[in-house]
Amino acid sequence: MIRFENASFHYGGENGTGEGVDNINLTINDGEVVVLCGTSGCGKTTLTRLINGLAPHFYAGDMEGKVWVDDICVTDSEMSATSKLVGSVFQNPKSQFFNIDTTGELVFGCENQGLDREEIHKRLIKTQKEMKLDNLMNRNIFELSGGEKQQIACGSVYTASPSVYVLDEPSSNLDRKAIRRLHEIIKKIKEEGKTIVISEHRLYYLMDLTDRFIYMEDGYIKHSYSSEELSLLTDEDLMAKGLRVTDLSRLKRGNEQGEVKAGTPVIEALDLNCVRGGNQIVDIEKLQLPEHGVIAVIGDNGSGKSTLSEALCGIGYSEGSIAFKGKYLTEKERSQKSFMVMQDVNRQLFCDSVIEEVMLKSSIKREDAESILERLGLKDTIERHPSSLSGGQKQRVAIASALCAGKEIIFYDEPTSGLDRGGMERLSELLREMSGEITSVIITHDPELILKCCTHVLHIENGVVQAFYPLNEEGVTRIKWYFTSESYENYSKKRKKYGMFGRVLNYAGKWKSYVYLAMGFMITGAVCGAVPYYGIYNLLTKLINKQPITLDNSMFDISMVLLFGLLNALTYTFGLRLSHRAAYHTLENIRINLQEKLDKQPLGVVHDMGIGAIKKLFNEDIESVEIMLAHVIPEGFSNVIVGAALLILLIGIDWQMALFSIIILLFGIGASKQMYNVGMDKMGTYFASSKRLNNTIIEYVSGMEVVRVFNRDALSGEKFEESVRNYRDFGLEWYKVCWPWMALYAGLFANMILYSLPLGAFLVILGHISVTKYILALCVSFALGPMLIHTLALIGTLPRVNYKIQSVEKAIDRVALLCGEEEFKGENHNIEFDNVRFSYKGDEALKGISFVAEEGKMTALVGESGSGKSTIARLIAHYYDIDSGNIKIGGQDIRDMSLSNLGKEVAYVSQELFLFNKSIKENIRIGKPDATDEDVIEAARKACCDEFIQELENGYDTLAGVAGKKLSGGQRQRISFARVLLKDSPIIVLDEATAFIDPENEKKMNDAIEEIIRNKTVIVIAHKLSSIVKADKIIVLNKGKIVGEGTHAELTNGCEEYRKLWNAARASSSWTLKGGKYDDSYDA
Amino acid sequence: MDLTFYGEEDNSLVKIDPRTKFLIFIGSGIMCFASYSDLGVIIYSALLCVIFVLCGKKFTALKSALLLGVMLYLRVILKNSQGAPSVILLLVTALSTVFMFGFPTVMSLLLIIKTTKISQFLAAFQAIHLPIKLIIPIAVFFRFLPTVADEWNGVRKAMAFRGIVISPVQIICHPWRTIEYMLIPMLFSSISVMEELAAATMARGMDTDVKRSSYEKVRFGIVDYILVILLIGIIVFTTIIGHAAKGGIM
Repeated sequence: MIRFENASFHYGGENGTGEGVDNINLTINDGEVVVLCGTSGCGKTTLTRLINGLAPHFYAGDMEGKVWVDDICVTDSEMSATSKLVGSVFQNPKSQFFNIDTTGELVFGCENQGLDREEIHKRLIKTQKEMKLDNLMNRNIFELSGGEKQQIACGSVYTASPSVYVLDEPSSNLDRKAIRRLHEIIKKIKEEGKTIVISEHRLYYLMDLTDRFIYMEDGYIKHSYSSEELSLLTDEDLMAKGLRVTDLSRLKRGNEQGEVKAGTPVIEALDLNCVRGGNQIVDIEKLQLPEHGVIAVIGDNGSGKSTLSEALCGIGYSEGSIAFKGKYLTEKERSQKSFMVMQDVNRQLFCDSVIEEVMLKSSIKREDAESILERLGLKDTIERHPSSLSGGQKQRVAIASALCAGKEIIFYDEPTSGLDRGGMERLSELLREMSGEITSVIITHDPELILKCCTHVLHIENGVVQAFYPLNEEGVTRIKWYFTSESYENYSKKRKKYGMFGRVLNYAGKWKSYVYLAMGFMITGAVCGAVPYYGIYNLLTKLINKQPITLDNSMFDISMVLLFGLLNALTYTFGLRLSHRAAYHTLENIRINLQEKLDKQPLGVVHDMGIGAIKKLFNEDIESVEIMLAHVIPEGFSNVIVGAALLILLIGIDWQMALFSIIILLFGIGASKQMYNVGMDKMGTYFASSKRLNNTIIEYVSGMEVVRVFNRDALSGEKFEESVRNYRDFGLEWYKVCWPWMALYAGLFANMILYSLPLGAFLVILGHISVTKYILALCVSFALGPMLIHTLALIGTLPRVNYKIQSVEKAIDRVALLCGEEEFKGENHNIEFDNVRFSYKGDEALKGISFVAEEGKMTALVGESGSGKSTIARLIAHYYDIDSGNIKIGGQDIRDMSLSNLGKEVAYVSQELFLFNKSIKENIRIGKPDATDEDVIEAARKACCDEFIQELENGYDTLAGVAGKKLSGGQRQRISFARVLLKDSPIIVLDEATAFIDPENEKKMNDAIEEIIRNKTVIVIAHKLSSIVKADKIIVLNKGKIVGEGTHAELTNGCEEYRKLWNAARASSSWTLKGGKYDDSYDA
Repeated sequence: MDLTFYGEEDNSLVKIDPRTKFLIFIGSGIMCFASYSDLGVIIYSALLCVIFVLCGKKFTALKSALLLGVMLYLRVILKNSQGAPSVILLLVTALSTVFMFGFPTVMSLLLIIKTTKISQFLAAFQAIHLPIKLIIPIAVFFRFLPTVADEWNGVRKAMAFRGIVISPVQIICHPWRTIEYMLIPMLFSSISVMEELAAATMARGMDTDVKRSSYEKVRFGIVDYILVILLIGIIVFTTIIGHAAKGGIM
C-alpha cells in the first residue's frame, strides 16, 4: 500500500526550479494499477520519485508531509530500504543500466540486497521464464533495441521482486511491438498482485489494465478517473486537459490538412545499400520522396529507419546514388543541404545563447534570425542558454538553426518521444506550416503525430521499403491498421560482426583451414621469391669490389638464386592448388545453401527476382567468391605481409631510401584508395544497369515471337538498345573515374625502382651511403615492386567482388516463408480466411478479407482484374506470407504445416502449365509419384486427354518437349487436369483454368472439371461469369475487399458490383453472338 | 561504432580474475616509471600479448605485438645508423620510447575494459573489501566510457550538419572554439545521462549498508597465481635487480 500524507515537494538545491507537487493525499491499495497523467511538468514524474525515494534523497528539494510504502516511511528512511520494496523503470533506456551485459543487469538489484548466489540464480531463471527473456540473456545491452532494453529494465526489477513497481514514461521510446510487449509485462505483474504506478503520456495501451487514472495539473491532483470514465471523454475534452488519445481506433486525420498533392521528388535514391558491421541494414532499389511533403517513416525498431535517414542526409556511409532535386550529391553535399533533429537534442546545441546558436556558421542577418525564432515561439528565449530550455524548446531551437542555415530537408528522429499532447500538437502545427518551404522526414512511432501532420507514409521493414503511400482516406485506414494490428513477435538477433573477409571465410566452413594453409605456403613462396635478390646482391657486390667472379666463389649464390626461384614456384603453385580446392568446395556449399534457402522463400518473391537475376546469382555472383578465397585472401595477405617485411628490411639498410620509398608507397596507396572510393560510388549504378540489361535480354528473347507477329520490332528493340547503351555508359563512367587513379598508382608502384635509383645514386655521390648498400636497397625495391602490383590488382577487384557477394547474401538472408512442420490435422477441409491483409510491392492487395469456403462445395471468386482474386488463390497455396489475419484449413493455420504437407491437401491449377522435358506419362505422374501406369492412363482418360495423347507419335512416351509444340492450349490444360485428378487432393483451386477453352473442347473440358471437383472443396476463379453461375457461393471482390457474397440469384438482386459484372459479361457475349461462333457456350 | 566494451569471455581460454587484471595495470604503471631496462619492458609487453591471447583476443594481441616489434626494430636500426640527422634521431627515439613505455599501461587498461564485465568489477572490488563509497565512483567511471563514445559519435554527426569541422587545421587555428564545440554538447548530454544513471542506480539500492552479494563468481585460480608470480618476478628483476646491476656497472 502506498500512502501520501499531505506530501509537498519542490525541487531546490543549486539547479532547483521550484517546480514540484503540493498537498498530495493519495492512497494506492495493494494490487492496484494507477496511471498518473497530465501535461509535461504537471508533477507526475515527481510523484513517482516520491514513491521510490529519489525525491528528496537524490533530487534535493523542500519536502513536507510523508510518503509511506507499506510500513516504511520513504521520505525518512534510507534509499536502500525503499529499493527493496519499490522497483523502478525509467524513461530513457540509455541511462538506466548500470551493467553492460543483460544478465549482470538482471541480477543487479538482487546483488544490492545481498541475496546469496543460489537465490539469485533461482530468481533469474524465474524471470527468464516469466518475462520471456530467453533471447536476451547474456547480450550486450548496447546492441539491443529500445523495446528490448525496456524489457530488460522490467525484468531486472522483477528479479528483485518488489511489492511496488514504479514506471516513469516507459513507452516513450518504444515501437508498436514493444509497447504490446510492455503491455503483456504489466499484465503479468498485475496478475501477481503487485502494485503498479505508471506515469505516462500514451494512454491507449493502458486502458484495459488500469484501475485508476489520476489526472494532475500544476502539481495538484485534479481528478481521478476509472478506465470507463476516461474512455468516455471526447477528443476535445482530452485535448483541453492535454491528454493523449485513449483509443487509437478513434484517431482521425487532422482536418487542417489540405489535399495531398503529388509533388516532384526531392530525394531520389537508387540501389541504396547500407552495411553496418558486416550486416546489411538497408537495401533499397528505388525510393522517391515528394517535395514539400511531411513524410512519416514507420517500421519496427531495428528495421533500418535511422540508418536509412542517416544515409540520405549524408552522415552515414552508404553505397548507391542519392539525388536531391534531381542532382546527384556526395555525402558531404547532402549533409550541407539537410538537417537532422536528433532524439537527444542536447548533442546538437553548441553555443551559449539561443541567438548565437541559430546564427552559428550561417550568413543570415540577425533580424531574419529573430523573426524565425519568433515564428517558432522562441522570442523570449533569445538570450538564454540553450541548456536552460525545456525539451520541446530545445527541439525548436534545433529546427530554427536548420531554417536559418537554409536547409531544404529536415529529418526528425522520434520528435515526440516524451512530449505531451500540447507539445505534440505544437510540433505538428509547426511541421504543417513549414511544409510550404521545406520537406520534413519524420521517423516516428507515434500514430497521433502522423495523422495530425503527415502527408505520406514510408514503411520500412527489414531494411526494405515495405510500402510508400499518401495519407489519404485509404492511407489513414492503413496506418491505423498498422498501429493496431497484432503481429508476430520477433527479437533482434545476436549480430555477429564480420568484415568482408570474415563473411566469406565463414562460408568456407571446414575448408577454412585450407585457406589458411594456402596462405602459409604463399607467404613461404613470397619469401622465397625475395631471397634470390639477395644472391644477386652478393654477386653484384663482388663485382663492385672488383673481386673476380669465378664459378667457385659464385656457385653458392647462383645455386641459391636457382633453388629459391624453384622453391618459390613450387610453394606458390601448391598454395594455389590448396586455395582453389577450398574455393571450389566453398562454391559448392554456397550454391547448395542458396538453393535450399530459395526453396524456403515465398514462391512469389522468387518469381519476382526474374530468371535472369537468379541465373546470374547462381553463376557469376557466386563465382566471385572464388576470387576471394583462392586469390585475394591467401595471395593478397601473403604479399602484404612479405611486402611489409621487405620494407622494414629496407629501413634497416638505409633509412633515407626507405623513407623515400614509403612516401611513394603512401602516394600510391592514396591513389588506389581514391580509386576504390570513387569506384564504389559508381559501382551501384553500374551493377544496377547490368542487372537491367540481363533482364531485358531475357525479356527480349522470350518475347521474340510476339514481337515478330505484331511487328513490334522497333519498340522492343529500342528498350533493348537503351539497356545496352545504359550499360555501356555506366561502365564507361565507372572506368572514367577510375582510370586516372589506376594509372597513377600503377605508375608509382611499378616503377618504384625508377625513383629510388637516382635518389640512391645522389646519396652515394654525397657519400651518405655506400655503393653496396645502394645496391642492396635497389634489390629490395626490385623484389617489392611486383608484390605491390599484384596486391593492388587484387584489391582493385574488391569492390566488384564485395558487391556480388552482397547480392548473394541478400538472396540468402531474405525472409523465409513461415512454415511449421506439422502434418495436416484439420477436422475437415473448409478453407477459412479471417481478416486477411496482404500487400504486394507496397500496394495493399487484400484489405481484410474474411470468408469460408466449405467442404464439398464450389466457391467462386469474381471481380475485375486486380481485385485480388488470384492473390487469394495463391495465398491458399502459401505462395506468400500474409501480413496479418489467418488462413485456416479445417481449423489449422496453414503456416503450421510444412509446404509439402500443405501440398498434399491443395492442388493449385493455374492457366499456365509447365511441362518438364520428360515423357507425357511422367509429366502426369508428377501429381502422384507412386502412381502406376494404369492409374496415369485412367486419370488421363477422365481428363479427356487419352484420345489425343494416343495420337501422338509415341503415345504416352512422347517427350513433352517434342509434343509440347503440337499441343494446343486446351490440350495442355487437360494434361494439367490429369495431374490434378491423379493427385486427388481434397482442395482444388482453379485459377482461370478454363482460359484456353475452345468450342470443340468445351464439353470435354467441362466433363474433366466435373470429374475433378466432385466432393472437393473447390475455389474457382473465372472471368466468364457464365461458368460459375451454378457455384454454391460466389464472392465478389473489388479492390481487395469483399463487396458481396451469396448465390448467383442473391447477388443479381442484392449486389451492385456483381450486377455490373454480370451485365458486362452479357454485353460481351452478345457481341460475339454476331460473330455467330461462340454463342452457345455462354448461356450453357 | 565499436562498442565492444566489457565483452563476454566466450572464446577466452582461461578466466582471469579482475583483481589480477588490476594488478597487471598497477604493475604497468610501476614498469613505466621505474624500469631501467628495455628488456624488462619488452618481456612485460610480451606477457601482456600472451594474456590477450589467453583472453580470446587473438587479433588484438597479434596487432599490438607487430606494432611493438616494428617500433623496437626502428629503435635498434636508428641507434646503429650513421648519417641520420640528430633531429630525426632524437624524434624517433623519443617517440619509440614513449611508445615502448606507454605500451604496457595502455594494453593493460584495454585488457580491463575489453574483457571484464561491470558485475565482475564490482565483485572483485568487494572481494578486496574496498568500501562501497569508493567502489561506486570507479565502477561508474568504467560504465561511463561507452556512453562517452556513444555521445561523441552523436555529436560528430550533429557537427556535420552545422558545418563544424574538426580537423588539425581547425584545432591549430581556433583551438578554444574547437574545444568549445566539442565539449559543450558532450558535457550537457553527458550530464543528463549521468544524472539519470545515478538516479537509476540509487533507486536499485546500490548504496546499501547491507553487504552486497555477487552473482558473478570471482576466484583467484592457478592462472592468476602464475600470472601474479610472473609479474612480480619481472618487476623485481627490472626495477631492483636491473637497477642494481646498472648501478654496479656505472
